[in-house]
Amino acid sequence: MRRVAPLLVSLGLVAAVVVPYLALGGGRFEPTPVADPCEARVRPDAEGLAETLEAIALAGVDGVACELGVSREELVLALRSEEALDEFSDEQGLDREELEQAITDGLVRAVDDADERGSLPGFVAPLVRRAAESVPPWLILETLERLGGLLPG
Amino acid sequence: MRARLLGVAVGLALADSSIVTLALPDVLGQFDVAITSVAWVLTSFNLVLAVVAVPAAYVSRRRPRESFALGVVVFAAASLACGLAPSFDVLVGARCVQAVGAALIVTAALDLLAQLEGSDERALRIWVAAGVLGAALGPAAGGILTQLLGWESIFLAQVPLALVLLLAVRGVTGRAARTPAGRPSIPANAALLLVAGGLVAALFLVVLLLVDGWGMSPAAAGLVVTVMPLVAIAVSRLRPAGLGPVQGIACGVVLLAGGLTALALMPRAGWGWTIAPQVLVGAGLGLTVAGLTEYALRDRPDQVVHGGWTIAARHAGVVLGLVLLAPVLTTALDENRDEAIRAGAAVVLDSEIPPLDKLGVAQDVLAEVDRANEIGELPDVERALEERPEDDGWRALRDGLQEQLDRAVTSAFSGPFLLAAALTLCALLPVGLMRRPVA
Repeated sequence: MRRVAPLLVSLGLVAAVVVPYLALGGGRFEPTPVADPCEARVRPDAEGLAETLEAIALAGVDGVACELGVSREELVLALRSEEALDEFSDEQGLDREELEQAITDGLVRAVDDADERGSLPGFVAPLVRRAAESVPPWLILETLERLGGLLPG
Repeated sequence: MRARLLGVAVGLALADSSIVTLALPDVLGQFDVAITSVAWVLTSFNLVLAVVAVPAAYVSRRRPRESFALGVVVFAAASLACGLAPSFDVLVGARCVQAVGAALIVTAALDLLAQLEGSDERALRIWVAAGVLGAALGPAAGGILTQLLGWESIFLAQVPLALVLLLAVRGVTGRAARTPAGRPSIPANAALLLVAGGLVAALFLVVLLLVDGWGMSPAAAGLVVTVMPLVAIAVSRLRPAGLGPVQGIACGVVLLAGGLTALALMPRAGWGWTIAPQVLVGAGLGLTVAGLTEYALRDRPDQVVHGGWTIAARHAGVVLGLVLLAPVLTTALDENRDEAIRAGAAVVLDSEIPPLDKLGVAQDVLAEVDRANEIGELPDVERALEERPEDDGWRALRDGLQEQLDRAVTSAFSGPFLLAAALTLCALLPVGLMRRPVA
């Protein structure tokens, strides 16, 4: 027993540090996992047109991401430029045209949902829908954001 | 006085095994070299020191005074060449020569210390403590010099310092060895190799995490990491009398591995969380390195040669640690970077900054990630958002992004710390073979 006592003391000292660290979240201090885009998010009510368009864009992106089986964040990052979208479609093994169509459809769906809920002023909905249908996907988020800044809200 | 100078010489020579840790990004910035190659500035010194330590010891045992003087001159000349190196190849070549000088200094100093102190035991204690202090303080010292004067100053500052150390051998004749050196202690040196491999994480990675990971200044990080050598020296002095040599070493291995495990499990980012693990590592360092070196040398007919074996084992361990841990860290940082970018994108999208600014911010953050990646650094959130307002929404965004960066960096270091802990625990196998009772 005397031979192992110092070892036991050493192990006790180690436990005195490691156990509290584990209890305080040690080993789990890593980048926060992104949310599942297929699960509904709780969003604060949008105030003004800019926030409404942002909410529509995010809801649209969530829908497309859910359909494609990727995260909302990955899709948003892919939508920042044409090169990023190319890279994303290669990485995911997706056909580029189908991907663009899926993005357009998802955004149009989000605009229709918002229109049905009455979240968009009457004259804005067709404008936004038109933008979602005609603007290239890598410019769509920026376009929606700019629209929010340009239109009277 | 001369014994102190010899201690400084040992500390200076062995500090060079880790002194360029924080200077690597600057070296990378100066020379057109791949990120994966820049670590050769560190590895080459340790590899050459491991290879030449024993031959240098054989030279030093015959003519310790001359070997020390030659070592100092070679070390100083090579340091000058490092500081003035026009190319990366010259820098690495000069580091190899510097290691040859360091090997002569360290091995000859052991003999000269014994002569000055009149006791092999006291000489060994000074020699071991100086080496531990040098290796532990090297990264911080190098970081401070790099921050203040540039990476070249690390080497240029060593030139006059090394030459002053020549005073240490004035009037000392040295004791030319006559007896055969005998075989080295395989278990003690094998354990030293494994422990040194694990210590790479404590001595190199902690300071890298503090400075490059969490954005501390090298000076502040240097202050934080002095915990390890201070505890190591305190433990080796206050060691309980009833603790047997092998028992003490085994306890040290457990404490060291435990400290490394605790470093892998830090629940938050911040220097305060490194203190308790550093205390464990320091205690382990004091018990293992000193204990194993004393075990390898005590009652041996020739301390210098066996001292050379311990230096060879320790620095082979450093090379092993660098070879094992560096790729694990690099891979983890790469993997975590993608995760952090996604988590950062979520922070931006869910933030309360004006919607019109969100895409612009995301672009700025990604541009900063790319910039930092190109020069082998971690992204700087403040830099990415430097021209943005200071209101609550933006402050929350900054904090959120910094939190994700801290999480990514801290968790990337977890794997290497755990691997180092496992490597250290492997030392218990050779320690188990150390049955010879030591007086």
